[in-house]
Amino acid sequence: MSIIQILFWFLSALALMGALMVVLSKNPVHSVLWLIVVFFAISGHYVLLNAQFLAIVNLIVYAGAIMVLFLFVIMLMNLNSETEPQKNNMLKIAGAISGGSLMLIMIDVVSSASDIAGKSALVKEGNIGLIKYLGKSLFNEYVIPFEISSILFLSAMVGAVVLGKKGEAKAV
Amino acid sequence: MNTIILSAVFGVVLMLSGIFIENKSAFKNIAAVALAILLSLNIAESYGFQIFRINTGVFLHFSKFGFLFNSICLGATLLYTILSGRDIENVGNHVAEYFALIFFVLCGVGIVTAYTNLLMLFIGIEIISIPLYILTGSDKRNLKGNEASLKYFLMGSFSTGIMLMGIALLYGTNGSFSVDRVSREMMPLTYLEALGLILIFVSLSFKVSAAPFHFWTPDVYDGAPTVFTSFMATIVKVAGFAAFIRLFESRYGNMGGQTDRLIAVVIVLTLAFGNLTAVFQQSVKRMLAYSSIAQAGFMMFAVYAVNDAAKEGLLLYAASYCLATIAIFAVLVKMEDYSFEGFNGFAKSEPLLAGVLVVCLLSLAGIPLTSGFLAKYYMLSAAIKTGQVGLLVVLAVLFAAVSVYYYFRVIQAMYFKEGNVVYPAVSVSYKFTLVFIAALIIALGIFPNLLLQFLYF
Repeated sequence: MSIIQILFWFLSALALMGALMVVLSKNPVHSVLWLIVVFFAISGHYVLLNAQFLAIVNLIVYAGAIMVLFLFVIMLMNLNSETEPQKNNMLKIAGAISGGSLMLIMIDVVSSASDIAGKSALVKEGNIGLIKYLGKSLFNEYVIPFEISSILFLSAMVGAVVLGKKGEAKAV
Repeated sequence: MNTIILSAVFGVVLMLSGIFIENKSAFKNIAAVALAILLSLNIAESYGFQIFRINTGVFLHFSKFGFLFNSICLGATLLYTILSGRDIENVGNHVAEYFALIFFVLCGVGIVTAYTNLLMLFIGIEIISIPLYILTGSDKRNLKGNEASLKYFLMGSFSTGIMLMGIALLYGTNGSFSVDRVSREMMPLTYLEALGLILIFVSLSFKVSAAPFHFWTPDVYDGAPTVFTSFMATIVKVAGFAAFIRLFESRYGNMGGQTDRLIAVVIVLTLAFGNLTAVFQQSVKRMLAYSSIAQAGFMMFAVYAVNDAAKEGLLLYAASYCLATIAIFAVLVKMEDYSFEGFNGFAKSEPLLAGVLVVCLLSLAGIPLTSGFLAKYYMLSAAIKTGQVGLLVVLAVLFAAVSVYYYFRVIQAMYFKEGNVVYPAVSVSYKFTLVFIAALIIALGIFPNLLLQFLYF
């Protein structure tokens, strides 16, 4: 086994274990911490796939900013086992069955998809994942979606201000 | 491209005009003028007049169908603004922003009627969805509205996640985001492609509230301020179908047995859930929410059939459904009591409005001489043209018969029950617009080509 394969299996196992622990942990704060582990593992995968910039952004944005936000929200809400809503057993079974069948289908599909074989990413060489190339394709090929997504962000910002601003008390 | 760029620009203009203009009632006039400009420029663009010459390449392709669909959505929004503009002012303090958000939604509508690329589909659907989460929760003093908004946001973002997963899988198989027709058109779907397509299908079904992904609809439509429910249930919903039919008419259309059965099951479930639950509702607003699910079932026929008749049918359906629902909501929003009893004796106190409501309800129920009948007829005939129908069409007709029951309950309450309705004084232009809508519904019911001729010239 080459070092890349060893790293791949290690990171995959880490990501899967982290994801399982996110779901299984009783304490929501632990869940968030495990989620950070998952993000680190996925960033490792990005590095293996030659997407260095994505790996760093993934760490900064997700593991850094968003997880801090998650932690704050969870701590502010002060969740614990007493406030946890009682879940119906039937619902749990139904969820397990439907989620499980989706997982089976996905595993089957991915493992039997002959059309992926041979389409592997550039693993060893190429600097396609550097920010220079990302920027080039973003501003040449993908400039239209890039510009239009600004409307999306603008509407989200307008919404945040509309919902967050005080002063609704002086009723109309 | 006119619609996409200008609606975003007008959205920004409205948003900034909120700084300078104190008078709240000015915004609806600005919005109405802007919508009229948008509508005329959109029609002009379908005749070849472009303001912006941008090479949109592989991302957007503007077709007659897309232009006409945009025109319907813009026209419906124009009527909606004229009718309900005053009620938008009553929702909260941020009137300018509400109108700005509505314009951003229209920009998203322009994108989903023209996309040829899954990236644009995603951005378009998100531009439509995010303003809606905010509009749902815009009445901050209303707890029910807050709950609806949060529920909608959580479920909506989850369905967005599912769509992204689907897009990723399709990208994995094709190596591109394009949905254009390619040479491998009639090839059977590969497993990965099929799974990706199903995930996108699920997500889009959620957005148009087709069963079994409709559970959010009644709560959200009921909790949102009634003016915005009207907008969500009409323009946004039909835009979802435009996205749907573009996806299925391109690469993934006419897959025969590979997709038909799935869509057929969704159609039957949607019709059943929507119609049967609507029967038991006590509030007209909630009944309209379920009726919008039921109508979505009929619009799904366009996705099932994907032929020229289906596209014509979808256009007619979009127009008639939007017009009728906007008019009903415009009357409903001014009522004190949203229950069926609230309409008792409405015909005596407001004979004109009651008459308009009757036309709209008949159109929704699909009674001949109204556009609703022809819309349903086009949908079913499109399904018949695919050759393999039978049970599906029979079931659809049966459920349409069920729908007559709950639409007629409103008519019965208005005309045959005694009651006192306190209805606020309305302006002449309001009445005139409502009568105009009723006239339009009847005109389209007799001459559907008034609308459909724009598809072929």
